Amino acid sequence: MKTLRKKLFRDLLHIRGQMLAVAAVVACGISVFVSMSSVRYSLEASRYQYYSRYRFADIFLQVKRAPEFYRETVKNIPGVASATTRVIADVTLDVPGLDEPATGRIVSIPEYRGMAGLNDIFIMNGRYPEPGKSEEVIASKPFMQANGLVTGDRIGAVINGRRKELVIVGTGLSPEYIYEVQPGSFFPDNRRFGIFWMSRRVLESALDMSGSFNDLSLSLAHGTSEKDVIMQLDHLFKPYGSLGAYGRSEQLSDRFISDEIKQVGMQITILPAIFLGVAVFLLNIVLQRIIATQRDQIAVLKAMGYANEDVGLHYLGFAMAPTALGAVVGTLLGVWLGRGLMDIYGDFYNFAELVYIFRVEDVALSVILSFTAALTGTIGAFRKAVKLPPAEAMRPDTPVVYRPGILRKESLKKKIPVTFRIIIRNLERRPWKAFLSVVMISLAVAILVAGRYTYDVTDRMLLIEFNEKHREDVTVVFRDPMPPSVRYNLASLDGVLEHEYYREEPVRISFGHRSRRQSLKGVQSSRGLQRLIDKDNRQVALPHGGIVLTKTLADILDARPGDMLGIDFLQGRQLHREVLLAGTIDEIIGMSAYMNLPDLDRLAGDGGALNAAYLRIDTGKAEKLYSTFKQMPGISGIMMLKALKKSFDELIAKSMNTSTIILTAFACVLAFSVVYNGSRISLSERARELSSLRVLGMTNSEISIILLGEQAILTLIAIPLGFLVGIGLSALLSHALSSELYRMPLLFSAYNFIFAFAVIIIVATVSGLAVRKRLKGLDLVAVLKTRE
Amino acid sequence: MPMHDGFSGNGGQEAVLRISDLSKSYVMGEVTVDALRHVSLDFFPGELVVLLGASGSGKSTLLNIVGGLDVPTSGKLYFHGREITAATEDDLTAYRRRSIGFVFQFYNLISSLTALENVQLVTEISPDPMPAEEALTLVGLGHRLKHFPAQLSGGEQQRVAIARAIAKRPELLLCDEPTGALDYQTGKLVLDVIEKVNRELGTTTLVITHNASIAGMADRVIHLGSGEVTEDRRNSVRRSPSELVW
Repeated sequence: MKTLRKKLFRDLLHIRGQMLAVAAVVACGISVFVSMSSVRYSLEASRYQYYSRYRFADIFLQVKRAPEFYRETVKNIPGVASATTRVIADVTLDVPGLDEPATGRIVSIPEYRGMAGLNDIFIMNGRYPEPGKSEEVIASKPFMQANGLVTGDRIGAVINGRRKELVIVGTGLSPEYIYEVQPGSFFPDNRRFGIFWMSRRVLESALDMSGSFNDLSLSLAHGTSEKDVIMQLDHLFKPYGSLGAYGRSEQLSDRFISDEIKQVGMQITILPAIFLGVAVFLLNIVLQRIIATQRDQIAVLKAMGYANEDVGLHYLGFAMAPTALGAVVGTLLGVWLGRGLMDIYGDFYNFAELVYIFRVEDVALSVILSFTAALTGTIGAFRKAVKLPPAEAMRPDTPVVYRPGILRKESLKKKIPVTFRIIIRNLERRPWKAFLSVVMISLAVAILVAGRYTYDVTDRMLLIEFNEKHREDVTVVFRDPMPPSVRYNLASLDGVLEHEYYREEPVRISFGHRSRRQSLKGVQSSRGLQRLIDKDNRQVALPHGGIVLTKTLADILDARPGDMLGIDFLQGRQLHREVLLAGTIDEIIGMSAYMNLPDLDRLAGDGGALNAAYLRIDTGKAEKLYSTFKQMPGISGIMMLKALKKSFDELIAKSMNTSTIILTAFACVLAFSVVYNGSRISLSERARELSSLRVLGMTNSEISIILLGEQAILTLIAIPLGFLVGIGLSALLSHALSSELYRMPLLFSAYNFIFAFAVIIIVATVSGLAVRKRLKGLDLVAVLKTRE
Repeated sequence: MPMHDGFSGNGGQEAVLRISDLSKSYVMGEVTVDALRHVSLDFFPGELVVLLGASGSGKSTLLNIVGGLDVPTSGKLYFHGREITAATEDDLTAYRRRSIGFVFQFYNLISSLTALENVQLVTEISPDPMPAEEALTLVGLGHRLKHFPAQLSGGEQQRVAIARAIAKRPELLLCDEPTGALDYQTGKLVLDVIEKVNRELGTTTLVITHNASIAGMADRVIHLGSGEVTEDRRNSVRRSPSELVW
């Protein structure tokens, strides 16, 4: 059969354009599958490895202050494997080269490395602080990188009101901060927020916390109920200002990384399914055409004594070759993309070691999937080739039957030029094929729309967060709750133009048997510097006397406006209160609970307290203000809105651009393949007819219109359909990707549709031109001579 | 009407192929067309038979059935005493593979394969083929082995097709209008090759044509009209194709 293989090879070479188009579609599908599944497993493995090697805790608890001996008590709770107590404090930093103050979270570590418990740190370079050297700290890698710091550098910190010079002796990472973000913020700003690890003894004395802790981490023995332990902890630490114990699912960093892994998992199915579906379609139409043009060859082979299986396998080869090529290229591309994506993930998530896992099973599965697709696409043509009785195959294919169709009406017919009549009849003749072509092109449009949808949503998120909701320049977080009189202090600072305050109380909100730990925010005004904006960018007013919850939170509690919610204050007098759920707000990011400040003060039953201030400042006086803040003992953190936005913009731009480029490229491949194959097949089917028209005196342009007009019409129909499919696909994404961390509203910018429209038109034109070039090469005499 | 002269009519030889009461009808829409009606014929080893008939006389249908490409509606076909009409699809494939050589009016070469490769297509699957080069040399194309069909003239293409048909050393060579697409001179050249193959290899050869002048080169001439054998005669002298005029 060597010669038959030669024939296959040369035939493939002859229609290489079409075959490459099919291979490209398969390659796209496989590469998405391979890259996404390798990314998912790599992230899971990196996380697992990190967590187990550095003993990431199972349960976390923050308290105001609890005596150290409680560690033993906790260890005796059944199911608790180990317990680590720490002292943690947020401080203001004076970073060299940074005008504004930064925020540092100082986490205590044992005096000696060997005593490290849960949430151990990975020291990338440098060393562990030496015992007795009170100024030595380890700083987190993202902070070091963002500020261009190296070990040996010094930074100033205001700890418990006293300025202290710190020396960075090492760069570290911790499984607790894979996503390193300032408490209360959603976006990372590594320039202005960092984690520092300092000797427990030093930190205790600096904070006057000797013999006490304010942070507890536990690991559980296998099979222990997390819920039971949490209940016991909450009971145990209630008198110590416990903010409520929580498991990994509420640990912010783990939450982000887990959501990410889930989202990657989603993408493993949708995109490859689309691409392989299109491959099935393309192989089907290409193979049908090959078999139609090679009817006589099939007959000759059979007449020579080739068995049906031989002939069938030969034609199966036409499907297998591009599929195999696509699978190989797709796998390589997938591995490359997977590595690249992991690098991008490395910018967002700080792993001690980002392992890249390329699983042979995934490749095997993708190969099986693509060959299954190829077989599905080919089976009809294959059976046709096998079944074709040799004597019948010897005769040319029966001429196609055309019907007057919609052009039946003479009046209508007269209005339409002959060239268009030909186009319309061709479309009418095989409506099923035309329909499928439209569907395939529309899928390409849909991928473009859905790809840009995430872009649009991110834009909206940034718009709401940075322009609409927050209009302050700086948020100043107080180390301890301040009396209302603090307003006068800040107001008197030179350069402060507007100031607004809020109170934040850790509470447990409950409704029926459901409850949730939540910070309850008392805002001074819902129309001032900070406003309440829903995901559709509408401002929401805060009614008096009640509480307003993010809709997602209300849904979790299964509460509706008008319900009375239970509020348990976790600190202070730990009161239990009932409050009316006055409304919900469909916010885009996070989950919040809002009340008017006076209402919250009344509910808390104290004289009022403030936790932070929003300030609008005079930019000309910013520098002076910043240096004042750096010295202020009562401030534990400062957030700069613009800086936050800039840092996030940079981060998001890189990943968004990459994914948009990849999706756009893939959608182009898809559209090109469908249009190109469609017009190539039309050309092959109608070469004789077109040549005849040329002989009769039609120009090349006129016959181009007949040939490409069909694809143009299909493309134009496909675009609006693609918009609809794209909206549907985006809705699917929105539903699947929305989480407690953020919601994805279904919104599209006009630019999205214009972009998709333009890309598809360009791609269709390019593929049309590629086929049109072949029209010029039409050998009029030869085509008319040979029989079909 | 002279009919076939019996099972062992040709000098007492046993028939290679025996056709007995063969009919074939096609249903085309609402019309039934009888392509063959009760045809009975025997073919003997080494015979060169020309089957004459106008277009639509059923000659191609007969050739296709004899070649195992088509099945009759009724009647039987025996090859060396074995009933071909009762054969399975696999048996038919084997029959074509081992015993039948086809030459078509439009050559039907595989355009993506060279002359040599077109012949190899057959030699690779035959149990006892002659070397592909030898087959091509036999048809006078020993110097055109590496040429693709598009680089060959019509006559050359048809000769490649003949080489391809005989390379397996078939017992039956079936030629369907082998000169139909060729000019006079080239046609004669091709007939020369067919005659040569028949003479030198002793292959039973069946040539169907509507060109009565070709009948002169045959041992035996059969006329087919409206699906029936209207005449079956033997030439006293077999003339060389070069002597034929049309």
